[in-house]
Amino acid sequence: MIVCVAVVGHQNNPLYIQSFTDADDALKLHHIVHCSLDVVDERVNNPKKSGPTLNDTFLGLLYPTENYKVYGYLTNTKVKFILVTTDLDVRDADVRNEVPCCIC
Amino acid sequence: MGREVSESCIDSLLTEMVSTYCNRFYANKPELAARRIEAIGYQVGHQLSERYTMERPRFSDHLEAIKFICKDFWFELFKKQIDNLKTNHRGTFVLQDNRFRWLTTMSIEQPPENGTSEELSIAADNKALQSMHLYFPCGIIRGALSNLGIPCAVSADISNLPACSFVVRIKA
Repeated sequence: MIVCVAVVGHQNNPLYIQSFTDADDALKLHHIVHCSLDVVDERVNNPKKSGPTLNDTFLGLLYPTENYKVYGYLTNTKVKFILVTTDLDVRDADVRNEVPCCIC
Repeated sequence: MGREVSESCIDSLLTEMVSTYCNRFYANKPELAARRIEAIGYQVGHQLSERYTMERPRFSDHLEAIKFICKDFWFELFKKQIDNLKTNHRGTFVLQDNRFRWLTTMSIEQPPENGTSEELSIAADNKALQSMHLYFPCGIIRGALSNLGIPCAVSADISNLPACSFVVRIKA
């Protein structure tokens, strides 16, 4: 289940954040999204570690936390889409297909 | 994708835009009119590049982005690709379109070789007016490249109509 969706601009400015759980969780989700921005920058600036997926828009699983998984998608114009889900057995491919639908 | 507009509407809109900015809003200040038109183009290019790069993988370097402008972006805008791309490999690119769509309706008057000074000045005026029409596409290119993370300056060159060249200088 997706608990949070965030759209972040190219200067890491938040454009849209929406969490889909109870209100008291919202701040924690905002923190998670904020931390994941660093991971995105790391992936983009380290071509050696990224390997064959260097120019892919979909960045895949950014990092797992205790209850959540965070996925990232980076467009050509450096707009980042961050997706936080609680589904522990969701596969990369499923999320990869969902993101383009979100954009349109 | 989405809604469409007839081409003659776009042509009329662009002609009217240039004419309004040059003759009504900034009547005696062609520099300001040019800058405003270029700024409009910048906005349009900014938003169009967002839309047209949606599905594709990211660009590895400046040349890839310029090639995207020459091929996919130009195709979406003008139903054709750029005919010739030249570079000096040091941040300057020349994009040449042999038949620029927005200039096809413009008359090509060769200035007379041994014309009187009056005829020559009229020819020069015509040239200035024609170049006004190119600020908008220059702005579009600049907006698109800026949104892709490449700040640059774009100028146009119409020494031989209907072909026209856009010179892109990437700011280091």
